[in-house]
Amino acid sequence: MSDTHTTHVEKDKLIQELGYDDHFHEHHHGDKYQTNFLTTYIFSQDHKMIARQFLITGIFWAVIGASMSIIFRLQLGFPDADLSWLKPLLGQWITINDAGIGRLDPEFYYALVTMHGTIIVFFVLTAGLSGTFSNLLIPLQVGARDMASPFLNMLSYWFFFLSSVVMFYSLFISTGPFAGGWTAYPPLSALPQASSGSGAGMTLWTVSLVLFVVSVLLGGMNYITTVLNLRTKGMSMWRMPLTIWAFLVTAILALLSFPVLASGFFLLLFDRGLGTSFYLSDIFINGQALDRIGGSPILYQHLFWFLGHPEVYIIILPAMGIVSEVLSVHARKPIFGYRAMVYSILAIGFLSFIVWAHHMFMSGVNPFISNFFVVFTLIIAVPSAVKVFNWISTLYGGNIRMNTAMLFCIGFVSMFISGGLTGIFLGNSSIDIQQHDTYFVVAHFHIVMGVAAFFGMFAGVYNWFPKMFGRFMNETLGKIHFWVTMIGAYAVFGPMHYIGMAGVPRRYYRFDNFDAFKDFDDLNKFITVAAIITFFAQILFVVNFFWSMYKGKKMTEQNPYGSNSLEWTTPIETGHGNWPGKIPTVQRWAYDYGKDDKEFIPQHTPLAEGEEHSSH
Amino acid sequence: MAHLNYEEGKKVVFKGFVILGIVTIAEVMVALVGKGYIIDGFHLPRFIMYSLMITMSFYKAFYIVFEFMHMRYEVPGLVRSVLMPTLLLIWAVIAFFSEGNTWYHWRKKVNDRPISQFSRAASSHSENSLYHIMDTKNQAQEKPMHAESEKKDSTLEKTHK
Amino acid sequence: MAAEHTLHAPEIHEGDSVWSGGKEPFKASYGKLMMWYFLLSDAFTFAGFLISYGTLRFSSPTWPVPDFVFSSLPGGFTHKPLIFVTFMTFVLIVSSVTMVRAVQEGHRYNKKGVVFWMLLTILGGLCFLGCQAWEWTTLMGGEHMTIRRNPFGTHIESGVYLEGDGHDIKAGDTFEKGHTYLIHKHEDVWKPLSYKTETGEIKEQQFGPKAFGALFFFITGFHGFHVLSGVIFLLIIMLNVASGLYSQRKNHYEMVEKIGLYWHFVDLVWVFVFLVFYLL
Ligand code: HEM
Ligand SMILES: [Cu+2]
Repeated sequence: MSDTHTTHVEKDKLIQELGYDDHFHEHHHGDKYQTNFLTTYIFSQDHKMIARQFLITGIFWAVIGASMSIIFRLQLGFPDADLSWLKPLLGQWITINDAGIGRLDPEFYYALVTMHGTIIVFFVLTAGLSGTFSNLLIPLQVGARDMASPFLNMLSYWFFFLSSVVMFYSLFISTGPFAGGWTAYPPLSALPQASSGSGAGMTLWTVSLVLFVVSVLLGGMNYITTVLNLRTKGMSMWRMPLTIWAFLVTAILALLSFPVLASGFFLLLFDRGLGTSFYLSDIFINGQALDRIGGSPILYQHLFWFLGHPEVYIIILPAMGIVSEVLSVHARKPIFGYRAMVYSILAIGFLSFIVWAHHMFMSGVNPFISNFFVVFTLIIAVPSAVKVFNWISTLYGGNIRMNTAMLFCIGFVSMFISGGLTGIFLGNSSIDIQQHDTYFVVAHFHIVMGVAAFFGMFAGVYNWFPKMFGRFMNETLGKIHFWVTMIGAYAVFGPMHYIGMAGVPRRYYRFDNFDAFKDFDDLNKFITVAAIITFFAQILFVVNFFWSMYKGKKMTEQNPYGSNSLEWTTPIETGHGNWPGKIPTVQRWAYDYGKDDKEFIPQHTPLAEGEEHSSH
Repeated sequence: MAHLNYEEGKKVVFKGFVILGIVTIAEVMVALVGKGYIIDGFHLPRFIMYSLMITMSFYKAFYIVFEFMHMRYEVPGLVRSVLMPTLLLIWAVIAFFSEGNTWYHWRKKVNDRPISQFSRAASSHSENSLYHIMDTKNQAQEKPMHAESEKKDSTLEKTHK
Repeated sequence: MAAEHTLHAPEIHEGDSVWSGGKEPFKASYGKLMMWYFLLSDAFTFAGFLISYGTLRFSSPTWPVPDFVFSSLPGGFTHKPLIFVTFMTFVLIVSSVTMVRAVQEGHRYNKKGVVFWMLLTILGGLCFLGCQAWEWTTLMGGEHMTIRRNPFGTHIESGVYLEGDGHDIKAGDTFEKGHTYLIHKHEDVWKPLSYKTETGEIKEQQFGPKAFGALFFFITGFHGFHVLSGVIFLLIIMLNVASGLYSQRKNHYEMVEKIGLYWHFVDLVWVFVFLVFYLL
């Protein structure tokens, strides 16, 4: 039997001798998955292609989401500026007054803020980040031919795609997209007549997100079962790279929290369409009470944040996993405290389910129950700190390669520390009375989640670009990208802490007509300018990305970074099934860097004579 | 039922049917006896009735999962991986229900305060006439809501007749 | 042990742990695992609904007593509390039992047996759906409870009726605190009765909490939707079994096992729906 696959020769001797034969290529002769353009690039069932689809869709949305933020930042920094030049792009949402000055419609300002949040949180940092890297790395790093169910994996992307289409469509309808904030609190979201975006815009928003939940669940089920069942021989749980641990826990969080969001949305759809009152009570319009009583908008908030808080960890955990891996590879040192890292991921995952109401201290939650939420919230700081100390210790004394991926990892650690610290302020309900719904919160979550997760994603893209496209991204452009983004992000969000402390509320259309906030005009201008500069650095990244796809430096070695994990044992042109012949067998953990005077020892290398397993 | 042979398996199924049936009937009996339908004048305290029903329902759930869904014959790891996450719901139930209870008390407070019609309306008390007043379909027959005075609950006027 | 019925468990090496890779640590195929984890997430969806139900119920000053609300039987019988829904529960239990039998026949590779028991399961599912349709029709058509309105109110104090409703209540009848009543509709006009409380105040029946009707239709509807999709999947899989599709597969009748899990889950959810809506 075994000589039927002569066409697939494994060059790697270790795999040839020690790997094991699952007869994969006998069943999959001629590669039924990739027979024509359609099955190769569009309805692909190959995890590597699906990863690229997620990434490119994510980049598409990131550009849109970031552009929106530039538009509303212009409004905040320069409320009197003439925006008529945006008329061709925004059409009816720019009103030109008698003096010929173009103004952004206030209604649309809210739509922009809302869409920016929704797009970045769900489409970019959930689908684009964990969708991309879970798909790319899980099978490659655990030594599997593909996902457990390639078909459902494909569906997962296409549900995301559908959801994207619906959301994109909602941007163009005449009443505008939803404009009640990314958290979609009722009554703005429950009453179609509440604002212009609450009508068709909100319906499309909800439909889009329900489709998104389906996509996440299909993906999550696949990631979990693949990690459980499809690890190659020798790949015990304690030998998995931290990326895989992070993706596993992320998938578990998603599987448990997104359904609750879906329940919330179904109830919301009924309130919107069928006149129920799950979230509504005592609503007066023009002094007339609506026929809607007995519900509570806070119920929605609970359901939303039961997802919402795990969701922020669904976003940050994959970034943490990527950072742990990349940091260790480029510091040429084993990750410090591997097991502590795993346990802290698990602890964070667990805690993220019991702290949700810290987003609602000011919503009228019973102060008694709030106390518990305060305590649970503050406990999260412990595992978070463990991770931070371990990253720093990994860097300490390392033989560091300052390439772009590494820079972004270090940037990630810096951002995570800054943002985590402000989280501790907010977690105390008494301090939150002052800070809630101010720019302080905006600064907190942009730094700890927005920027940090983007940094993790950038580190991943720069690091695994060769695995995805067979070429390297340009390092010089990458470094410019990093430095501008790093400084830019602090310049944007640093001052926000200050104006937030001073009480400037978030989600306001303009501040210059409040006496109390007049002093911050210059600071707001500064933030806007910094945001624009940072935005252009991201355009640089996108250019670099697509340019390098075709023109980047070619990858010539299979394992360019001297990395231990299995994805670098696959051929440069990784075909379907990942390994041309046998699957490598794993002999050691993923972090044998600098052991016994060897710079690195790939995972499929057996122990040398007299060598002991690294204790971890 | 890998550990049981076919005949044993069949028996277990039959036993399962009997058990679930009996427990269901027991639940219904608790409801009926407890609320005085069977023995005249005999009532069970709510607390006992509810605890019995909840316990029996959890027993049924346990039985369905462990026998019918074969959980009993799966390896412990699988059992744990499926059942442990549901423990997260315990805190969710506590927090949500305590919230519901809070809303009840706060609304009552607002409702019992002798002031404007707006805070009256802010109640979901069933004695409040909002429940039918605002029934849009039948508005013609209903009382206009703002004309209500403080004492409206005790007036006898019935505009819908 | 359990390894036999996953039918293609990989070879087990002696000495090393099930977690050491190349094996299925839970001795279950990925398909079954996925079904389990899907059900877990679906359980959280239902938990979201049921917890919302509990929260709104806690926030509501009164709640209709179920054995007053659910007391009709086909054929015009009324005041037969909980009989009908007990019957529905039995239907679901029986269909679960027949499903287990189908899975057992699958383990014996008895195609005919599988088809037979699956067919019975499908009939059970349809019967349940039929019952639910009848129940909904009665509530909506006969008692005018809808997703937006709940005519089932509950007394918050004892008293005596000043008028009759032309059904069971006559003027002069007394009632106690906690009793549930139904506001009738005559010729499209609501007829709430007036009554005198113990303190001598004269009041009028009020509608019950809207959330009761809305949640009832929403949650039983969502469950019914699960039953319906279960029936459809059962049907497809039964046809596949009959066509001999699965007997050629490496994992044989595992598909029957998976849909079986789903079907039992539907029964499981009903246990809790039954508890919160009909018992408590
Ligand atoms: C030590 C850890 C952390 C603590 C104690 C903490 C605490 C808090 C608190 C109390 C709030 C609510 C503030 C308010 O609205 O008044 C908040 C908001 C937020 N946090 Fe954190 N946080 C922590 C880490 C994180 C991390 C790691 C992320 C994301 C990866 C994150 C993302 C967010 C987001 C997105 C919001 C705001 C959502 C919104 O209102 O739109 N936080 N945080
Ligand atoms: Cu949070």
